[in-house]
Amino acid sequence: MRFIFLLPLLIFGLLAGITGFALFSTLSGTRQVEQLPSVLVERPAPDTRQPNLTEGAPEVDLSHYRGQIVLVNFFASWCVPCRAEIPMLQSLAKDLTVIGIAYKDKVQDTKAFLTRFGNPYHVVGVDLDGRTGITWGVYGIPETYLIDAQGNVLFRHAGVVDKVLIENTLRPLWETAG
Amino acid sequence: MTPEIGHFALVAALLFSLTQVIAPLWGLYRQQPTLLALTAPAQIAACIAVLVAFISLIWAFITSDFSFDLVVQYSHSQKPLIYKIAGTWGNHEGSLLLWVLILVSFGTLFCLTAHRLDTALFGLILAVQGMISSAFLAFSLLTSNPFRRLETPPIEGLGLNPVLQDIGLALHPPTLYLGYVGLSIAFAFAVAGLIQGRIDQRWARALRPWVTAAWSALTAGITLGSWWAYYELGWGGWWFWDPVENVSLMPWLIAPALLQSVRVVEVRGQFKSWTVLLAIMGFSLSLLGTFIVRSGLLTSVHSFAADPTRGIFILAILLLAVGLPLVLYAWRGPRLVTVGDFSFNSREMALIVNNGILVIATAIVLLGTFYPLGLEMFNGARITVGPPYFDATFNPIMAVGLLGMGIAGTLAWGHGGLPHAKKTLLGALLMGLVCIFVGLGFGISIAALAGLGVLGWLASGIVIDIALRVKPWQKAAGARLMRLGLPIWGMWLAHFGTAVFLAGVLGENLLQTEAIVRAQPAQEVNLGDDTVVFKGIRQTQGPNYQSLSAELQLYDAEGQEIALLYPERRFYPAENQTTTEAAIHTTWLGDYYAVLGDGDPQRGYTLRLYHKPVVAWIWGGAGLMVLGGLVSLVSRHRIPKA
Repeated sequence: MRFIFLLPLLIFGLLAGITGFALFSTLSGTRQVEQLPSVLVERPAPDTRQPNLTEGAPEVDLSHYRGQIVLVNFFASWCVPCRAEIPMLQSLAKDLTVIGIAYKDKVQDTKAFLTRFGNPYHVVGVDLDGRTGITWGVYGIPETYLIDAQGNVLFRHAGVVDKVLIENTLRPLWETAG
Repeated sequence: MTPEIGHFALVAALLFSLTQVIAPLWGLYRQQPTLLALTAPAQIAACIAVLVAFISLIWAFITSDFSFDLVVQYSHSQKPLIYKIAGTWGNHEGSLLLWVLILVSFGTLFCLTAHRLDTALFGLILAVQGMISSAFLAFSLLTSNPFRRLETPPIEGLGLNPVLQDIGLALHPPTLYLGYVGLSIAFAFAVAGLIQGRIDQRWARALRPWVTAAWSALTAGITLGSWWAYYELGWGGWWFWDPVENVSLMPWLIAPALLQSVRVVEVRGQFKSWTVLLAIMGFSLSLLGTFIVRSGLLTSVHSFAADPTRGIFILAILLLAVGLPLVLYAWRGPRLVTVGDFSFNSREMALIVNNGILVIATAIVLLGTFYPLGLEMFNGARITVGPPYFDATFNPIMAVGLLGMGIAGTLAWGHGGLPHAKKTLLGALLMGLVCIFVGLGFGISIAALAGLGVLGWLASGIVIDIALRVKPWQKAAGARLMRLGLPIWGMWLAHFGTAVFLAGVLGENLLQTEAIVRAQPAQEVNLGDDTVVFKGIRQTQGPNYQSLSAELQLYDAEGQEIALLYPERRFYPAENQTTTEAAIHTTWLGDYYAVLGDGDPQRGYTLRLYHKPVVAWIWGGAGLMVLGGLVSLVSRHRIPKA
């Protein structure tokens, strides 16, 4: 009986402990922040054929892009960080083919989002039920994959693509691959 | 006025608050009534001191006194007066001071109204309140002093974010804070009850109005915020599952659970330890809401690193405010256990289920809000889970909760339902099925069908309950109507408000039409059955902005003019920022919503046009909920004499 009354304290203590440890070790720099592991890295990207966001346009098929380096970016209109990412993707679009996958998002909303914040994508595939997200192992969005000319995943990044990531990680990767 | 007056008042307030903690604790320990008697005067003195500090800060904003660092950062001499005043709490330091002001004002109100409580409980409650206000005052003075002076005052301030120059947003934080801080009283009651190891009906009866008031204020605050997002952000949405929204939703979900379990303590003398735990959870979530939003921790873990002292202070307060009461709970909670005596179809059972649902819903929101933050701490990824997560988890469980709400009025305490419970249940079931059947004809999604069914069940359940109680078809219906009493009307209003809210949500989701076009002046655009004529564009000069507005004429299917709309884009030179002002034509049956995008005379202008049927019901329903809370608040809550 008494144990039940200890339970709230134990749960709180556990949460506080984990949070405190993660926060302070991250901030003090003792623990290096690492990227999420992905089983896909250095393996072929999953076969992906999606309906095109533009009605009547042909299906988006990833295998059509063999022979060039492609950036696949999962995004949605309801995702606030995705807005911040648009200018970065626009600058990347000068060097790479950027393909967008609209993840669990209504077609109308995606279109409104792209008119409002700009459209960096070569083409946008629609993943309405998030099934493609599952195949790729998407944690949450935004999430970005760099794919080489042979169709293998070179790199996966969960979170917003920023300048540092582009210059320090992405650019060296695609320059050695290309 | 100089910053020093406010600074001094703030220090004085801290000393009074500390007195308010020490006097009752020491007085009770040493059995000295004279010390104990100091508690209430200390609370009132602290309130006056904080008021002085707050007024001096408002005055500095009104007169644009740029010797205050804060005024320079967040105000501008050309800003309209109302936004100068609102600018006082439009920033971290000022809003913290407002928070403390509401806290000590509630404490004072408690002093003036709760004199029927026994002196030990009264003193302990005020001592806990004093601990909270001391912690906040120390936080304000040590890390976020609003009265920092500038040696060389600049000529002009840096202005306030133009998006925040809005009446809805000026009122949003104070209302929300009323709710957050109202829950601090429940927290103080809970901790005092744990220290005494005893909770009785008078404890519950004295507590209940505070929870009702806090919940009503939270509802009003969240509604204002949602309404603001709807008309100001130009996005047409009213709820985004944004972390900042979620942290205010969590205490809002816990408060009704608390309200109902306090009611069980009051009427049946059961659920005591659970009530105490809910009260602690409610205020912990309020603290989380206040701190997390203001510290910017939710946007990113890294905003925490920008000012580590402030962050560590916040974590320390959270740790103490949640941890200590939970230690107390583990130690004293078992004393509050009562043996339940009620049957499966009693009101107690329904309240247990309902409390369970609300707590699970809160946990779902908590997880969805903090999972991305947790992930960022462990591997630096910044991601969003967003609406799909909440649609799949939060909505179904709340739908189940709403089903219970439809028949809540028909359940009796102890054993068995009221005589008309069966009829109500059948009627509600029938109406729910009819709604689903009608919905099937339109081929809508399963989630929407479920929503319609719940709506039919909920609304008809309430109406049938009222009808079967009043029996307007029999004699003396008037007398029966009068006998019902205000509290039950408060419940019906709040529950019916939920039905209206749900109708608004479903209507907005199912019936909305929209058009996104690039148009030249004189062009016609189709919006569903209606037509919008783009008459022209013009430039004007506002008090502190330049404006570009479009004139749109709206016609219905028969060619009758409905309204003229003027969506606007404003450019604020002082902040170098552009905002969109949506033009909204609101009626009971729906809104027309127009946003002017970018463009130029050569290529035309982007227009986003929406017709949103019954969208206003979302806020109307929330308004009914608040009204329900207020109605049950004015019905007399008397604390019987000891």
